[in-house]
Amino acid sequence: MAKRNAFRNASIAVVALWLGLFALLPNAGLLLVTVLQRGEQDFVEPVFTLANYARLFDPTFLRILWDSIALAATSTFVCLLVGYPFAYRIAMARRSVRPWFLLLVIIPFWTNSLIRTYALIILLKSQGLVSDVLLFLGFIDAPISLMYSDLAVFVGLTYTLLPFMILPLYVSIDKLDRKLLDAAKDLGAGSLRAFWHVTLPLTMPGIVAGSMLVFLPSLACFYIPEILGGAKAMLIGNFIKNQFLVARDWPLGAAASTILTLLLVLLIVAWWLASRRVAAREKHEQDAALFTEAG
Amino acid sequence: MFMRRLGMAWVWLVYAFLYLPILVVIVYSFNASKYSTAWSGFTLDWYAKLLANTPLVDAALNSLSVATLSATLATLLGSLAAMCLHRYRFPGRKVLHSSIYVLTVSPDIVMGISLLIFFIALRMELGFVTLLIAHTTLGLPFVTVTVLARLAEFDEHLVEAARDLGASEAAAYRHIILPLTLPAVAAGWLLSFTLSMDDVLISFFVTGPSFEVLPLKIYSMVRLGVKPDINALSAVMFGVTIVLVLLAQALTNMRRK
Amino acid sequence: MQRLLATVVMLLLWTGVAVSAEPKVLNVFNWSEYVPQTVLDRFTKETGIKVVYTTYESNEAMYAKIKLLRGKGYDIVVPSTYFIDMMRKDGLLAKIDRAKLTNYANLDPRVLHQPFDPQNEFSVPYMWGNTGLMVNRKVVDPATISSWNDLFRPEFKGGVILSDDLRDTFGIALKALGYSVNSTSEAEIKAAYEWLLKLKPSVRVFDVTATKQAFIAEEVKGGMSWNGDAFIAMNENPDLAFVYPKEGLPLWVDSLAIPIGAEHKDNAHKFIDFLLRPDIAKLCVEEYNYSTPNLAAQKILDARHAQSRATSPTDADLKNSEFTNGVGKALDVYEKYWEMLKTAD
Repeated sequence: MAKRNAFRNASIAVVALWLGLFALLPNAGLLLVTVLQRGEQDFVEPVFTLANYARLFDPTFLRILWDSIALAATSTFVCLLVGYPFAYRIAMARRSVRPWFLLLVIIPFWTNSLIRTYALIILLKSQGLVSDVLLFLGFIDAPISLMYSDLAVFVGLTYTLLPFMILPLYVSIDKLDRKLLDAAKDLGAGSLRAFWHVTLPLTMPGIVAGSMLVFLPSLACFYIPEILGGAKAMLIGNFIKNQFLVARDWPLGAAASTILTLLLVLLIVAWWLASRRVAAREKHEQDAALFTEAG
Repeated sequence: MFMRRLGMAWVWLVYAFLYLPILVVIVYSFNASKYSTAWSGFTLDWYAKLLANTPLVDAALNSLSVATLSATLATLLGSLAAMCLHRYRFPGRKVLHSSIYVLTVSPDIVMGISLLIFFIALRMELGFVTLLIAHTTLGLPFVTVTVLARLAEFDEHLVEAARDLGASEAAAYRHIILPLTLPAVAAGWLLSFTLSMDDVLISFFVTGPSFEVLPLKIYSMVRLGVKPDINALSAVMFGVTIVLVLLAQALTNMRRK
Repeated sequence: MQRLLATVVMLLLWTGVAVSAEPKVLNVFNWSEYVPQTVLDRFTKETGIKVVYTTYESNEAMYAKIKLLRGKGYDIVVPSTYFIDMMRKDGLLAKIDRAKLTNYANLDPRVLHQPFDPQNEFSVPYMWGNTGLMVNRKVVDPATISSWNDLFRPEFKGGVILSDDLRDTFGIALKALGYSVNSTSEAEIKAAYEWLLKLKPSVRVFDVTATKQAFIAEEVKGGMSWNGDAFIAMNENPDLAFVYPKEGLPLWVDSLAIPIGAEHKDNAHKFIDFLLRPDIAKLCVEEYNYSTPNLAAQKILDARHAQSRATSPTDADLKNSEFTNGVGKALDVYEKYWEMLKTAD
């Protein structure tokens, strides 16, 4: 009995200590900065104010927030569309080759992402590879450039964040109990129905995890919209960076960061509740199906 | 059968998408032109320059060591955290869980500056240790989220059975939970390693002159244009990775025999 | 007892030696690729001092870090124009001992005694440059381009490149309207914003890092470019031309400075003096193609650089040009309009 508690307590203690020191404390400090005033000599002055939050309720900032969320959501969706079939097919492959497939996904990402982004320019630019291929296939008449466009930004974000979608998806799909799928088929469900009612709900944790690991970083990412998109729009990542570095208005930057975090925590909580309810319902239905099958 | 073929075709298509820019990087590392994105002739000059550029190579080695260590640490702590959050009920559990998500959302610049202030307050010297702590903290939530997703589908009965048979909590973790979540743990390690190798903003603030890392060098070199010697370095690192992977493959095959 | 005494004496001698001589190390915090490796190697060879070179990619990031570290950790930093002003006022820079700089007289008076450091007590110019107008001959005849307002010409439609640096871009707009790049008047800044807003539909990209590539690959038809970038771009693509608009341009200068908490101030002075040598300054210019503040070096530049109007502009070229200086609280106004410009369609 004592041994169990020791391990449990030690684990919790270690994790709590690390997160407390290096995550909670700095973020608490950040929270504090949001209600202080910007300083002349130092970065912040110990004067309490809520003005920073008030200043964020202006149309420019709300527009920046909206643009960023729209971009991140679309990229996440594209990543999901590209990544799910990929992860699914790999998970269905022979057990011995699966790790290699995964490794092959990750290896490109050990090349610095900035360099790969610049390599994308060579593909997307005027008279670049994509243009040449399209020309060759007859889809276009004259060379085109895909640079400095929304499309280029989507390609860049998807490219950079794909493994963060594929890995959690794979992990989830891999765990899938094939017997459930077989049971559904036996009960007369077509492939599509089996997928919709069995596979999809059961792999929902993977989808949620993957989506979060793509959505959240793509919100904060600023260099891809800059390099591939031409920096014509301002996104929340640029805004926060600007406040901290260029405008030297730490309280405003910290407040923006906090609002972002709050919004996303709300989103995550909503997802969480929804997926738990769906999972509970599906589990209930599966238990019922297996029960009737067994009985 | 058709679906399987179609699926495989999609897999190869995605791989092509992922590797095409790498191919571009490698090809352009032989490009004689320093700044142009057009091809102007084959040369090995850049590789020669790379061998002579010791600061760049040093930075690359530094990055590799920090990435490996921080990924390992992040995986250890992250998997532990995931297990704690999944299995145990304790006061402050919700706070811990939320702080994991807050970390994933945290913009790099915020994390970088707040950690720097923290290190300064503790009078720590900026360098390898501070960078290690920062990168571990960076990768930790990614590991936790990935492992938690796997644990969500975990069959509790297995652990119950083991416990009934007299296994301690630690033993249950070591022999049942860890092996069954190994794919998720490995995936988490890979994600953390990637994050560390790529991180620029956090590294900028928390490292010191004694420990320069590759992404910083690259990010500031990019200001004057990505030159082929960076492409040469990337090509070399890519080549080394492939060699290591093939080596590992050969070793696993040997062991099986 | 004897042993103890010997140990104490040895310790004292050891610490005495360690304190009296500066270790042969120099921590340089600079832009990447801003001092040629050959120069650093020569410095080490001649003085025996090892150079540890760390980099930053923007003045703002460098400023934040140095300020948080209270000027400790690095021996040399290279801030641009108005950052010297800020760091000086924040007490982050150490006074430079002119007596230790034997080559100081080589410097061009045009670049000295700027408002951000009137007596040059805290900074020594290293490299300076400007942001001019580059155009592609295939689109317009460069001889017909003489003003920033020419960017509105229909030939440039949809192919303009502006800088992603707010001071630089607002700088050219202010110049186009006849104001100073260091304007603190809200009315003038607003007018500059409206000028830029009118131009925005034609703007293809806001860039700082890949300007020359964009011009070389002909992704853009005309726009802002640093003179050093222009030199390189014109070399790779002969269709490009660099123009000095008649209203003037924003100028910048990067200077060597010593943070107040530097641990190797002696070595730092040696390094600065080394860089002030004409033969060394010449190497730097020929590597990076920006303008040198070193008159002695200017005289011995190779023909390509000496004759290039990009690297070596004439006085007439720079008429009406100004160095970008600090604007104090007005920076908030600039930032506000910058955000509005970026979020506008």
